[in-house]
Amino acid sequence: MRSLFLFDMTFWLYLAALGLYVAYLFAKRPALQLAPAGHPIDHIEERDGAWATQLGQVATLVTVFGWVLNTLALTTRAFERMEHSGTFAPWSNQFEAMAYVSWAIILGYVLLEFRYRIKAVGAFVVGIGFIAMGAASLLPYRYQTAEPLVPALNSYWIYIHVSVTLTSYAAFAMAGGLGLMYLFKERAVNRGSQSRFYAAFPDLETIDELGYKAIMLGFPLLAFGIILGAMWANYAWGGYWSWDPKETWSLIVWLIYGAYIHARMTRGWLGHRAAIYAIFGFLMVIFCFWGVNFLLSGLHAYA
Amino acid sequence: MNSKPDAASDSTAPGPSTSGLGWEEFSREVVEFFASIKLAMFLFIVLAMTATIGTVIQQGERPETYVQEYGEEAYRWFVRLGFTDVYHTWWFTSLLGLLCVNSLTCFHKRFPGVWRSMRQDKVSVSLAFIQGMKQQATLSLKQSKEAVAEHVVRLLAEKGYRVLAKSDPGEVTVYATKGIMGRVGAHVAHLSATIIVLGGLLGSYYGFQEFGVCLEGQTYHIPRGNFDLRVDKFWIDYHENGSVKSYNSTLTVIDQGTPTATKTITVNDPLVYKGIWFYQSSYGDAWDQIEAARINIKEKNSEKIVSTVDLEWNKEKAVDGLPLKMKMTDFVADFAFNSTEKKVFSKTAEHANPAIRLTVDERSTIQSTPWVFYHYPDLFEIKDSAYQFEFIGYQPKKFTGLQIARNPGIMMVWIGCTMLVVGMTLSSVIYHRRLWAKIVPGHSGVTVHLGGTTHKSQIDFQKEFKKLTEKIQSKI
Repeated sequence: MRSLFLFDMTFWLYLAALGLYVAYLFAKRPALQLAPAGHPIDHIEERDGAWATQLGQVATLVTVFGWVLNTLALTTRAFERMEHSGTFAPWSNQFEAMAYVSWAIILGYVLLEFRYRIKAVGAFVVGIGFIAMGAASLLPYRYQTAEPLVPALNSYWIYIHVSVTLTSYAAFAMAGGLGLMYLFKERAVNRGSQSRFYAAFPDLETIDELGYKAIMLGFPLLAFGIILGAMWANYAWGGYWSWDPKETWSLIVWLIYGAYIHARMTRGWLGHRAAIYAIFGFLMVIFCFWGVNFLLSGLHAYA
Repeated sequence: MNSKPDAASDSTAPGPSTSGLGWEEFSREVVEFFASIKLAMFLFIVLAMTATIGTVIQQGERPETYVQEYGEEAYRWFVRLGFTDVYHTWWFTSLLGLLCVNSLTCFHKRFPGVWRSMRQDKVSVSLAFIQGMKQQATLSLKQSKEAVAEHVVRLLAEKGYRVLAKSDPGEVTVYATKGIMGRVGAHVAHLSATIIVLGGLLGSYYGFQEFGVCLEGQTYHIPRGNFDLRVDKFWIDYHENGSVKSYNSTLTVIDQGTPTATKTITVNDPLVYKGIWFYQSSYGDAWDQIEAARINIKEKNSEKIVSTVDLEWNKEKAVDGLPLKMKMTDFVADFAFNSTEKKVFSKTAEHANPAIRLTVDERSTIQSTPWVFYHYPDLFEIKDSAYQFEFIGYQPKKFTGLQIARNPGIMMVWIGCTMLVVGMTLSSVIYHRRLWAKIVPGHSGVTVHLGGTTHKSQIDFQKEFKKLTEKIQSKI
């Protein structure tokens, strides 16, 4: 299968991008060292080592290129599916779903980088995208091929229900990565660390706010995904809700983030607590996505 | 939902009454409790935790299954706590009910405030109020009070803000607001919870869900709809690699004796008639009927097979060259015999011990109705008969599994779901922001005190605020 080669290439490019982003962090120099006393330099380019900027640019380029390949891989897979079974959704099994999630994570990251001009986030978020892709490629070969769909999945609902739900997972993954980043930065700040590594990190408040934004994107998307799933179930199985483990776990994840959003709005769950909660939530997402499929039985067992 | 300025305006409400625990104070306390975010968070977390139980422990199994897996003592506890059917226990339902009460009380308590601020706003604020805001700036401009005020109003209006200005002697106060729909959205989402739960209740009280095992060619009465359903055809389509692509049943509804609707249903494509939905749910081998059976006829004396016949269901067949007429009248997939009722039945739906009953007519003199077994060819022998019959193969008859359901609450659930998605999207995409500008004339030009607040999206607002400040500063 041609798509498997492309998925493979994507994996390696994401690995390279991750390496470059980490290298970029090390190459950055703290502003204080370069700025003459009393003359802080506003312009970011000026205060970096010459090759830090270049590393950052290459990292972005490699990420974008990897994402293009990821897109190509998914498209190729869609054509392969079309040939085999007449449906094209390139997220019809665990492997494809993982590849799609990493596609969405990287897309989210690239948009974030272009909008907010923060490259340091790449080391964490691209990292998670890479891990998702890596985990997919570790799946046994029989999970990776485009087997025809079982009759229950053979429906146009798969295009919308699965993609929306997976996109929400990607948003939660980004929030998890940002939460981790927050904790790193916070530790450095608390220790008064002058390490160059943290120089490129945005300030704590920005990391916190970006993580919150990611959750605010994922939360309604997950609700929409669950509801689409309920509509599909009502159409295919004759009941919109049957407390199947996957349904229940997606509801649990939704409730967990619901608690967080309410806590944040009024009880001021910011910063440290929010970061830990975002990581916890992401672990729950991972369980909902992976754990349920492999540990619990249910109607979604074929995924 | 409440940001600081709201809390400030709430404080204009009458303070705690002086007379101990009056009714008013009590009811206010109750509302306070049920509308609290603390309760909401508690419910979210507890619901999330208890919901996991049902995913770890299999739900609705037979007692033996639990005893086998967890032991008798554990099973007794499971029954006491309702762990074998968690989602229908009184305590789980109560938690859901409380969540509805919680969101409704929250709506009752907070929505009027949102509604008021949609219609009328607090324009006049003190200077200290502006200076106490998270985003605030002080600008000095050379222009006249009126020119600056006009510019600020135009700028904000261009940005999509709703702007109100108030001219007091000596100063002008400008108030601008945008994105109130973000807050309305949150309340719409809150209301949706109750609507979804009500729709669910409606469905579980007035709806039904049944499973029907149906055979091709048969007609079944659907008492709940008072009409008949005929299964015209059932078949399976396969992919190239042999896996099942789809399974389909052609159904005809017969209402008052006349066929009124025909549809081929398949998974993901049900038939709907008079509010009752027929879903293609499963298929399998029938346990009380087969298409055809193959019988070896052995001569008792020579122990030789003299003929092999294929019998169709319930059709008499004369065997070529032998003085025999045979018919297959019954089939059971897993043979069992009820000795008190003297009845043969199928123990399970599995084809574990298939047997057929033959009606044999030999030379028109010896008539017998033997059961012959697929796995045990030598079990019975017909006395006086010259032949022995062996059941060596059969073609199973496929049944089509139909899920039959009606759910009168479904529309309500979908309405609630739509409200939930729309409300959540509004509240996460749009954020409510408010700006105040106080323009105070000084000895050379004016001083503009600008302050702004939002309940979320701080960095975006910070950016916007900075841009606005620059625009006010630079343009003039």
